[in-house]
Amino acid sequence: MRLHPLADDRAAATGLGSSAMNAIIGLTDVTKRYSGDGAPAVDAVSLQVTAGEAVAVMGPSGSGKSTLLNLIAGLDRPTAGTVTVAGQRIDRMSETGLARFRRAQIGMVFQFFNLLDDLTVADNVLLPAQLAGLSRRQARQRTGELLASLRIEKLADAYPGRLSGGQRQRVAIARALVNSPAVLLADEPTGALDTATGQEIGGLLAGLNASGQTLVLVTHNPGLATAYAGRVIELADGHISSDTGSNTGAEVRR
Amino acid sequence: MRPGPVLRAMRGGLTRRRVQAAVIGVVLLVSTAASVLGLALAVDSNAPFDHAFAAQRGADATATVDSAAASPAELAATRRLPQVTAAAGPFPEAMATLQPGGRSGCSNPSPGNPCYGAGTLPTMTLVGRASPGGPVDDVILQSGHWAQRPGQVVLSSAEVYPNGNLPPGTGLGTQLTVTGVAGTPALTVVGIATSVTGSAGGWVIPGQIAPLRPAKAPASAQMLYRFRSAGSAAAVRAGVAAVTATLPRGAVPAVQSYLTVRDQEASGIAPIAPFLVVFGLTGLVMSALIVINVVGGAVVAGYRRIGILKSIGFTPGQVVTAYAAQALAPAAAGCAAGLVVGNLLAAPLLGNAANVYGVGSLGVPGWVDAAVAAAMCCLVGLAAVASALRAGRLSAAAAIAAGRAPRSGRGYAAHRLLGRMRLPRPMTIGFAAPFARPSRTAFMLVVVLLGATAVILTVGLGGSLSHVVYGLSLARTEQVRIDYLGGLGSGPSGPGAGQGAGPVAGAAGPLPVGQPMGAATRRMVAAALRAQPGTLHYVAEADEQATAYGVSGPIPVTAYLGSAGWTGYGMISGRWYSGPGQVEVPAYFLAVTGKSIGDTITITFNGRPIPVRIVGEIFDNYNNGLAMVTGWQTLASADPGLAAVRYDVGLRPGTSPAGYARQVEAALGQGYVAGVNSNNKGLPLVLGLIGSLALLLAGAAGLGVLSTVLLQTRERAYQMGVFRAVGMTPRQTIAMVVCSVAGIGLVAGLAAIPAGIAALRSLAPVMGAAAGTGMPPSYLDVYGVAELAGLALAGVVIAVAGALLPATWAARNTTSSVLRAE
Repeated sequence: MRLHPLADDRAAATGLGSSAMNAIIGLTDVTKRYSGDGAPAVDAVSLQVTAGEAVAVMGPSGSGKSTLLNLIAGLDRPTAGTVTVAGQRIDRMSETGLARFRRAQIGMVFQFFNLLDDLTVADNVLLPAQLAGLSRRQARQRTGELLASLRIEKLADAYPGRLSGGQRQRVAIARALVNSPAVLLADEPTGALDTATGQEIGGLLAGLNASGQTLVLVTHNPGLATAYAGRVIELADGHISSDTGSNTGAEVRR
Repeated sequence: MRPGPVLRAMRGGLTRRRVQAAVIGVVLLVSTAASVLGLALAVDSNAPFDHAFAAQRGADATATVDSAAASPAELAATRRLPQVTAAAGPFPEAMATLQPGGRSGCSNPSPGNPCYGAGTLPTMTLVGRASPGGPVDDVILQSGHWAQRPGQVVLSSAEVYPNGNLPPGTGLGTQLTVTGVAGTPALTVVGIATSVTGSAGGWVIPGQIAPLRPAKAPASAQMLYRFRSAGSAAAVRAGVAAVTATLPRGAVPAVQSYLTVRDQEASGIAPIAPFLVVFGLTGLVMSALIVINVVGGAVVAGYRRIGILKSIGFTPGQVVTAYAAQALAPAAAGCAAGLVVGNLLAAPLLGNAANVYGVGSLGVPGWVDAAVAAAMCCLVGLAAVASALRAGRLSAAAAIAAGRAPRSGRGYAAHRLLGRMRLPRPMTIGFAAPFARPSRTAFMLVVVLLGATAVILTVGLGGSLSHVVYGLSLARTEQVRIDYLGGLGSGPSGPGAGQGAGPVAGAAGPLPVGQPMGAATRRMVAAALRAQPGTLHYVAEADEQATAYGVSGPIPVTAYLGSAGWTGYGMISGRWYSGPGQVEVPAYFLAVTGKSIGDTITITFNGRPIPVRIVGEIFDNYNNGLAMVTGWQTLASADPGLAAVRYDVGLRPGTSPAGYARQVEAALGQGYVAGVNSNNKGLPLVLGLIGSLALLLAGAAGLGVLSTVLLQTRERAYQMGVFRAVGMTPRQTIAMVVCSVAGIGLVAGLAAIPAGIAALRSLAPVMGAAAGTGMPPSYLDVYGVAELAGLALAGVVIAVAGALLPATWAARNTTSSVLRAE
């Protein structure tokens, strides 16, 4: 069921629509401009994502996909509008608040992995847990579990520079999940991988979503989107041009 | 290609890296200013004397010869020695006491004595010379003419007011009477002249000398020598040894080297010159390191841009030119500003030097400005070109890849080891960071070490200089001095009332000067002092003047009645006198007379010769280091009426010197002046100067750290973004960056402690030697344990201060902007 933009002012103000009970991400009239008089990268977008959904965000280069993801992750601030994730309004948070928010609620997987080359695989995965103040025992236990579940436990003492692309992305996924985030965000997670490896990673992400992890992934690969996401949002020039799939709760602007 | 694209590339690089350009400019400013200041002061502190010495054919050695022991033929033979390039003499000489107009008054007063200026003059060396010129020691007439007949004297400008002890107004036409000789001959001042080495207090015609000599004084003559090699004290000693070897034993009782005169004349600023030279050189080394690191790093950070430039058609030469110019532009601006600042800072100091040397005004020699500017620009150019050449040799693709690819392979073990520590993760990541870039870490280590060493050296030097100042004034041990002005009997509460306390009991009107303090008076004063609860030590002091062969002018002699070992003279070597006939002398006295500890010298006091043995070398610059300290009986043997003029008092801890002085003065009554001995002789000015220089160097070190950390945070911006993306707060980011340098600062600070102590132990004696004195060992033991522990943090402070700004900037970067995929 889609929300009309004027039908529910309260819902628009809070970012929650009729699926308010399950909405884990809510954007209301969010705009992002990088320069004062330039075209907005994201233009008055409103959408909700319910808990447990797998959403693929697609669009041509420059359509605002990565910007949208960064806004949800708190890596950037909107010029206008509100962003609510896991019940927290993040568009007005301080940098410190955003950092703490990301630790607790967000797991990010990047196209080029963004691993720290001078830390071992295990240390890379541990890092968010250590920053969040988890005890050493708990953090190491969680790390071990994740590495095992992703079948890279033997690489714990290896350095990212010596791993294959697929292995690195598994490490990145493990790092993203170490604090059991509410939302897993993936920005072109298979963009730097070959087809076979990409399918492996896609399958991993799908498996995580199947076990209840909310997933938002940005991709320009239609096959990946349809194979692993139940809902596909298409962006064009900063607007949502289409939003197909079940339980959308999204607003379409043309 | 035309120069236009290269200039555009340079401008673009400058615009993008404004902060880095500003850092290069500021570093160059600070380093240039410090170098100009140090070099100019060092050069000017020596230049005046050296120029005059060469122009006037100054004597490398001025020898006093016993005319009875060496014949004219023997002396003439010394001219032909292979070591001697020129000789003059023998010129007959005599020690004479002159008085203006024949008036009587105080004998041998020194400036500050109430008798000074009342009309008496000190004993000086008169030399008989037919003309001012000659192969050695060309005496320059400042005014008047040379003595042409008996009864005429040409005075040395060094003796004339305000340079010497002659009263104001003594000039051409002044009538002087020679006392202590038959007939009290009169001399008229016909000229004022300057000998660059101060070979005499005055000159007369040769035939005038004999009548001016006291009856029992031995005949002596002056020989002046220039040697083939005289650049060092050892060379001059060798030359003198060659001369004395050809003469009968004992024929040359005293020799003065020109080096001691040069050091003495430069004593106003030369003690500081070695310090300034060291700081100037340190500043040069630091600035060289910083410039190389910053400029080199800037180019390395621009490898990707260099690759792009090459890919669009820039040749390697054009790339090198663009990046060299990119570094030279802010460097030139900083250097130009540094020249101005350095010249401004040098002005007041060089003004002091000009006063000391009497040369009008001094400025920074033009070649110093040019040399420093050229050196700095060459340094910058070389650093930029060397780094840019590396990039220029790479292919465009390789340069782009080198700029994009993260560095790897280093520091892994450190990360693993530190990751196990129970410290917050940002801190352990920070502490491990230096291991990934060993050359850059080494640079920061050296720069912080130099800065911290400068701080530790300065603190120690301040302590040593405080010892020096208080050692010269004795203000820490003799807190109160009580001067005797002749006494008018007892005051209202004077303990000496009716007991013959003063020699002029009942006198009214102005206090008569020069009245001796008799034994009864001394007993009264001592009783008054013992009655004061704040009295810890006291001793009576007589201040007299004696003469000695080979020493031009009188020698002030301080004689103590009673135990005086507590008075606080710094012992450089030897021991305190323990009986009559033993004396303490400063280092310059030993240099002038050529004596050593254990030697005997004959002084003349009250017309009588007294052989005394030198048992100790003390730290004292009274009368420019030509002074003597001894016990009462040494002088009393020649003058049973020896009288004290002062009491020196040491106080119990916690006693207020000012309050004690008031109380004792009230107790003693009229005729006594009790004052607090507080003489810091410009210590705050000197401490301010060296403190400023140390801050300058520490600041430069901090700048070096800042520029390097800035470079690193920009290079690691991507990594910083990842940290932020996984949840590192801005404060944790700052902590991480600060910890990346704090470890370096701690190591450097700890290493700076022995380095600073060693520097002090090396530098302080050199500074003392420049002032013509040694340094008591106790003056170098100035660091306390607690002080050292605090100073060890100097390195941390410098490093952290330098890193805070770039750390804050790094924490403010928007995470998404640094993580944007390429």
